[in-house]
Amino acid sequence: MFRLLGALLAFAVLARIPVGFDVGFKFDAALAVIWAFGLLSLVLLTGYVGQISLCQATFAGVGAYTAGMMVSSFHVDYLVAVVAGVVAAAALGVVVGLPALRLRGITLAIVTLGIALVFDRYVFQDHAFEWFTGGTGGWRVSQATMFGLQMDSSAHLMAAYLVLLGLFCVVAVLLVNLHESGAGRRFRAIRDSELAAATMGVDLTRYKLLAFGMSAAIAGLGGSFYPLVAGSVSPQPFWLFTSLQFAAIAVLMGVRYVPAAALGGAFMAFVPDVLTRYGHGAFMGHAYEISYDWFQVAVGVLLIVQLIALPDGVWGDLRRRFRHAWSSVGMVGGRRVKVA
Amino acid sequence: MTMLRVRDLTVRFGGIVALDGVSLDLNRGEILGLIGPNGAGKTTLFNCISGVIRPDHGSIYFEDQSLTYAPPHERARLGVARTFQNLQLWGSMTVEENLIVPMDALGRRNTFSDTLYLPFSGYAERASQERARAILHVLDLDRYARTAAGDLPAGIQRRVEIARALAMRPRLLLLDEPAAGLDAKETARLAGLLHAVRQRFHVSMLLVDHDMSLVMRVCDYVYVLDFGRMLAKGQPSEIRNNPKVIAAYLGEESKNQGGDIHAVAQARNEEPPLLEVKKLAAGYGGLEVIRDVDLEVWPGEVVACIGANGAGKTTTLRAISGMIHARAGHVMFAGQDVTGSTAEHISKLGLVHIPEGRGLFPTMSVEDTLRLVSNTAGQEVDVTPAFQLFPRLRERRRQLVGTLSGGEQQMVALARAILSRPRLVMIDEMSQGLAPTVVRQLFEIIRVFREQGIAVLLVEQFVESALDVADRAYVFEHGTIGLSGPAVELRGDRKLVAGSYLGSAVDATAIATNRNGNGHRPDPALMEIVSVRVPARVKRALELRAETEGRPAGAVVVELLEKVDHQ
Repeated sequence: MFRLLGALLAFAVLARIPVGFDVGFKFDAALAVIWAFGLLSLVLLTGYVGQISLCQATFAGVGAYTAGMMVSSFHVDYLVAVVAGVVAAAALGVVVGLPALRLRGITLAIVTLGIALVFDRYVFQDHAFEWFTGGTGGWRVSQATMFGLQMDSSAHLMAAYLVLLGLFCVVAVLLVNLHESGAGRRFRAIRDSELAAATMGVDLTRYKLLAFGMSAAIAGLGGSFYPLVAGSVSPQPFWLFTSLQFAAIAVLMGVRYVPAAALGGAFMAFVPDVLTRYGHGAFMGHAYEISYDWFQVAVGVLLIVQLIALPDGVWGDLRRRFRHAWSSVGMVGGRRVKVA
Repeated sequence: MTMLRVRDLTVRFGGIVALDGVSLDLNRGEILGLIGPNGAGKTTLFNCISGVIRPDHGSIYFEDQSLTYAPPHERARLGVARTFQNLQLWGSMTVEENLIVPMDALGRRNTFSDTLYLPFSGYAERASQERARAILHVLDLDRYARTAAGDLPAGIQRRVEIARALAMRPRLLLLDEPAAGLDAKETARLAGLLHAVRQRFHVSMLLVDHDMSLVMRVCDYVYVLDFGRMLAKGQPSEIRNNPKVIAAYLGEESKNQGGDIHAVAQARNEEPPLLEVKKLAAGYGGLEVIRDVDLEVWPGEVVACIGANGAGKTTTLRAISGMIHARAGHVMFAGQDVTGSTAEHISKLGLVHIPEGRGLFPTMSVEDTLRLVSNTAGQEVDVTPAFQLFPRLRERRRQLVGTLSGGEQQMVALARAILSRPRLVMIDEMSQGLAPTVVRQLFEIIRVFREQGIAVLLVEQFVESALDVADRAYVFEHGTIGLSGPAVELRGDRKLVAGSYLGSAVDATAIATNRNGNGHRPDPALMEIVSVRVPARVKRALELRAETEGRPAGAVVVELLEKVDHQ
């Protein structure tokens, strides 16, 4: 109940924020939710189950291209396109999960990196898959409808943002529930000791594939809204580097915590845009220019600082400190001793 | 009647035959012991039964069903549960959650209904919690239910492992070295616990352990493995008197009379001590583990540190070698004050610390490990003296350290120590997890060290063997030194034997039955939890009180906790 109220409150507040800003910022807001879905998929896969994946952007990309293809080629309702995108991404996720049955750690990271590279180079950018990618220009989505309503990209950006945000809140609550549930415990058991999990009756094959499938579906859900928000699909947002950025920012914000995904999504969408908009001018007579490149440098530096100062991620550590301070305030001497 | 039937099991790892046609029968309701020297194949047989590795040949039947090719989780559902020698609890989850995972695996729980919190999911959840609490109660673990398993000390974690295995409602429980790292008193309690578990949960057990006192006390029937073959089987009393078993496993009893006291006494008058520790105090986080430790080692002397688990022996070694900071007191080595110096600096002065677990690099070959010493020393050092001392290592020079048996790994650690030409070697729990014959060989090496003029400071659980080889010994009690003196004298001291749990089975049972006899011994588990949970204000008050009363903080905490519990 508490979680549901929290999610509703978050939705109500976040839904109002982009109102009154220009189209660029509204686009950023919608993009932030899409990236947040990508990070959320890592919360499940890495934070809960302890599996490493460097191809989450590929799952989002498959979702995006499938949705784009469904709308442009078959003119279906956008809702149907989203469902198709999620199913396609989940299917790919299960396939990627197969090597994870045998591999772990650095080898799994390399394999998923290879998958990201293959999709980036030889699927999203290759002529052989033009039926899927819509050729060099990608799919243009102009006349999309959802629930029978017109959802044109630039004019109805807020509507798309609200749908995305609503879905994100629902999935986030479900993931928090999952953490505490029986399946969540089995996931965490795999993370802490695979050996013990197997001998204690947890079917590793089933739960690892389930985790990869669910994680890819979450990333794909976000990705399948990309054509709606941006008006078109291109390979660039889903290239290899985005996958790496997902991994870096998930760790930066706290890979075990659901709200950290929202934080990370906003960070990924807004900071580069703000930098390119206001990052140039003159300071004490010297012209300066802070471009997108500086964003990547900043992420790297922040990651190093975070690993030293906040090892459980920005969200995880701040949450712990806040709770610690809170419990000290509310402490009546000796009460907690009994707990021990 | 036969519950588990193993026939002709053969397992090969590359060229090594780990198991060679082993057969075994376990009857319903029986506690079966499986013993054997290190590398005899006990753990391999265990892993075959629980499905972690597959045999090359042979078959395993459980209740007339073939298990030979069933995956691990399938065996678990049929009723075969196991514990792990190197604890494999899910550290970030609470003890209660650790029990609920295997329970759920039995029932049909649905991921999607769980995630949506449908009513029947909540009902199943509460039922699981109730059952988990019941099991924890039987094993006297109630108070840890909400603690993260990884935060508990190893002794408690072993009990949680048993509780978790029981949560699967097993019919057969496989216990892999449940007494490893426990002292004699805890082992005696474990034996009682296992009997209680068999009655309450109606399980049969297969027990692998080095601790003969546990095996002899608990098991109905014992199998002995040696070099992958079944050497003998029979009642515990038969096994104890079987000459083949004694030769292979226990070796012959040593009657060494200890060091030459007079020689050492003479040396002591002529020279200043090599290592002199004064009023040393150290600890971790909010916990002071040792205080007022005074200790001296003269050149060429073998000194043993003995005492119960958690008495502060390991912490003392770590504080001396600079791995942790001393909070008070002084450490003098070779005439220099090294208090607060870095570990590298101290090791350059000629003090080598072989930590618990040996501190080796598993993916490096034996020879490379030894050559590494010469690299750190700055010039090429000849490694042949090490091979002369340990001919076995010469045969295995190209093998990776991680693939060696425990005893051979300890040899590598000792060989590496001697190559760096130390003046003092500190060895922490050299014999942990090793069979007695191997331990005896290692103690011979300690004598060689002494002959070469190298002083040795030993931390040991095999008290008898340690006192055999040592010149002098310090007995640790509750974080400080309770007794000290020449080893020969300490061996005859009955108070010592009773007071610090020296392992003869009779004394240990006597202590275990008198459960509150030693009521102020701080339970490390409690202290650890308290050190995490208690706010700083309370902690300061505790420390203050401990200081005014002149007792360790842990004792005060335990006393307070007992008061709180009564209310």
